[in-house]
Amino acid sequence: MPRQALGLLQGTVDVLILKTLSRKPLHGYGISEFIGQQTGGELSIEDAALYQALHRLERKGLVDSEWGVSESNRRARIYSITSDGRKQLRSEVVELRRYMAALFRVLEPA
Amino acid sequence: MSPTFRFPFRSRSRIASEVDEELASHLAMVAARLEQEGWSPPDAASEARRRFGDLELTREYCRSEDFRREKEKSRMIVFEELRHDVTYALRALRASPGFTLIALATLAFGIGANTAVFSVVRGVLLAPLPFATPDRIVRVWESSKTLGIPQGTFSEPDFLDVRAESRLAESIGGYFFADNLTGVDLTQRGTPERLSAALVAPGFFETLRPRPLIGRTLSADEHTPGRNHVAVMGYGLWKRRFAGDPHIVGQTITLNGDPFVVVGVLPREFAYPAAQELDVWIPLSYFGPDAIGRGRASHFLSVIARLRPGVTPAQFRTEISAITKRLSSNYAENSGWDAASVATIREAIVGDVRRPLLVLVAAVALVLLITCVNIASLLLARATARQRELAVRAALGAGRGRIVRQLLTESLTVALFGGVMGAALGYVAVHALVASGGVQLPRGGNLHVDGVVLACTFLVSLVAGLLFGALPAMRAAGPALEHKLRTGARGSMGGGARARRLRGALVICQIALAVILVAGAGLAAKSFARLLSVNMGIRPEHALVVRMSIPPEWSDSVRGPAYYENVLDAIRALPGVDAAGSIRDLPTRGKGETPRASQLGLPVADADADAIIHMHHISPDFFKAIGAQLLSGRDFQLTDRRGAPIVLIVNEALAKRYWPGENAVGQVLHAGSTDLQIVGVVGDIRQAGPGEPAEPTIYIPALQNLRSGMSIVVRAKGDPMRLAGDVRNAIWSVDRNQAISEVTTMEDVLGKAVSRQKLLAWLLGIFGVLGLVLGALGIYGLLSFAVTQRKQEIGVRSALGAPASSVMRMILGQGMALACGGVIIGTIAAALLTRQLRAQLYGITPGDPGTYAEVIVVLLGTALIASWSPARKALAIDPVTAMRQE
Repeated sequence: MPRQALGLLQGTVDVLILKTLSRKPLHGYGISEFIGQQTGGELSIEDAALYQALHRLERKGLVDSEWGVSESNRRARIYSITSDGRKQLRSEVVELRRYMAALFRVLEPA
Repeated sequence: MSPTFRFPFRSRSRIASEVDEELASHLAMVAARLEQEGWSPPDAASEARRRFGDLELTREYCRSEDFRREKEKSRMIVFEELRHDVTYALRALRASPGFTLIALATLAFGIGANTAVFSVVRGVLLAPLPFATPDRIVRVWESSKTLGIPQGTFSEPDFLDVRAESRLAESIGGYFFADNLTGVDLTQRGTPERLSAALVAPGFFETLRPRPLIGRTLSADEHTPGRNHVAVMGYGLWKRRFAGDPHIVGQTITLNGDPFVVVGVLPREFAYPAAQELDVWIPLSYFGPDAIGRGRASHFLSVIARLRPGVTPAQFRTEISAITKRLSSNYAENSGWDAASVATIREAIVGDVRRPLLVLVAAVALVLLITCVNIASLLLARATARQRELAVRAALGAGRGRIVRQLLTESLTVALFGGVMGAALGYVAVHALVASGGVQLPRGGNLHVDGVVLACTFLVSLVAGLLFGALPAMRAAGPALEHKLRTGARGSMGGGARARRLRGALVICQIALAVILVAGAGLAAKSFARLLSVNMGIRPEHALVVRMSIPPEWSDSVRGPAYYENVLDAIRALPGVDAAGSIRDLPTRGKGETPRASQLGLPVADADADAIIHMHHISPDFFKAIGAQLLSGRDFQLTDRRGAPIVLIVNEALAKRYWPGENAVGQVLHAGSTDLQIVGVVGDIRQAGPGEPAEPTIYIPALQNLRSGMSIVVRAKGDPMRLAGDVRNAIWSVDRNQAISEVTTMEDVLGKAVSRQKLLAWLLGIFGVLGLVLGALGIYGLLSFAVTQRKQEIGVRSALGAPASSVMRMILGQGMALACGGVIIGTIAAALLTRQLRAQLYGITPGDPGTYAEVIVVLLGTALIASWSPARKALAIDPVTAMRQE
């Protein structure tokens, strides 16, 4: 049984999805798999949250989607990042960095 | 396989099924991996679902997010297309500045005229009256068939009888008001000022029920002497002289030298019975019988009534008629006044401007219509020229609807720009109209361009845009579009015959509309010219007019006449003054007092005993000052004063009626116990204005029978207005507190009397010229276009030896054929429409053949001139070049 994965803040889900898609277009399952692999299973996004986030991001125009075919030859909805999405990603990363830095200045004072 | 990209929009059910498919696909992928890890298929499926989380919630969430996105996208696409159409339209309009300029300028004018006229119609005719339940309020008149007075005022005793006896009215009220006549002097607060005042009898405010801004109106017991020094103030006076003081109620002001307590202030929109603004309302009872006669013969009260719910004006008229009939048999003074007339208050206030205003509405509508026809015709020509461009667009996949929409967007863009400019123009026009103040419109204080007017302007612009855009758009995007592309460069010939016929019809319309406008303008202008050329019996040039009044309580004492003389003498002593005299009511400003022929002892048959004679109180030198001609006898002199034999001067009309063929001078009239000697005959003065003939009139010396109103006429050697300051100072040298209500010239007074006719003539004139120009443009445009299109044909004809004159005749003939068609239709329509002008015309009938002949000549002449230049262009075509272009 794998160790209990860490829960995620909602905003963080969006950043992780955008970051994942910035590498290449993927379907929902692929995104979830990729994030799991990258963090060695430390971080996992619940599927429900993932799909809600994808449709929300699409509505905001940060990602785009179209029907395609998965590696296993299954019909799947493939998501890709838009240019607005890239911009959003950059600024969110900057924000997150500042946030973490500030957090750790308190948690681990130099 | 279904398409990966659907356009334009996904339906709600499609969105739902796509979300389902996406989620199912995810679950299948997870299950497949679990199966690889060794789960049994059913377990794998249920585990995948367990790991997913809240599937139903997610399904709903995704669907609603997708749906929202779809909606936003569709909105954006519509907006995007519109933006594209507008950008394209703007580019197309910029590309043809000539067309755009003409379209915008004519539209701005047409819409501006409509905006201005609608503002006036709304303010004057449509806006609610500032009374409670105005539909139940009526004006009432006593009428006399024998005297020929259908709507006369009441005497005070008659008014009180009617008031006591009527059962059908909830309340009946009366007032005495005449522009420039009823007024009081405000003193002791800054410069003395003559205020306009309505003298109100009991029931006035109970009938109208205005809502005071502050304070209250007069109460029933404030008409009794001793309590009647109270005043209700108008909004304008309150703001102007009292800076809108909120504590004005209860304060005392000095009117005619007496203290009056202000009890309330009325709102700005309430000016009744004045047309635009009124300063104060005070009890009529303040003026005693020595100032205003109270006998049954003294008709001066205007009467209003508030009917009980459900009572019609006709029922009320029957009731009042019965009362006046009884009064007429009971009292000798009432003989003849045996009927009554009743009209709703709205009718009474705006009745006589409704028709001229509706004439203007019709005229501006015609102007806008002719503008639209003109633009439609221009658009048709443009569309023909743009056929290739449109055909290319069609070939590139633009549907018919899309192209129609594109062309309509263009038209609407023009219309809306024109509308904005028109609204600005209308705003300026209305302000100019209000500022000029020369147009004596009832409720004229009510004029402004407000939201409703602007909304209407917007609507009118839209309708205009659709009107002139629809036909050309439909035609341009017609089914023959692809065909045109295939026929190549000469595509413009495609559908040419039909398009030409259509444009021909439009030009005929334009000419017909122009005929109507020009005919209206011609009639109004001729009527106005005749009005101006009427001999009024006076020479208004070089005459200055100053109005003031002597306090009425002085009229019977020695002080009054002395003061009267001193004022005139002070003015006469000024350098630059030729003569100075005075009358109570200036020509066009009132008809004086109206005794009966029998009262004056005129030699009349019994049937004429009740005939009305007009009577004016004047000073010596009045005739000289105003430039009237003394035909025989002498003018009044300073010796014609109290105590001396009473003398009078009659006008020519009276002398001719009562002493035909004899000399009236020297005749003595026995008016009761008084003998009146006629000492002179004066030429007729058109007292009621240039449109009305002079009535039999007598003039009596004011020094023998003083009246408080004094309109001083000063004949100047030079420019009369340069004397204004000196005259004012001369009056103030006699009494520093004398209020002066008006200083102007006699020419201005007469000008104001015909200002409505003048405005009508000017406006219809402008509209007529515009109609003519647009009509000419229509013919010119169509013919020039035809010549360009038929270049080859003309070239071939010339090459085959057709003489230049035949080519010329062909083009001119075409233009004149259209013009004749338009003139025939237009003349018939004008003959029908201008009948509505009858009441506005003086000295000319709406069907005046001379005017129509002139209109037809002008129209055909204009058409000929407009056709000339295209015809010349046709002549200049070089057959060789033209044929080579083929």
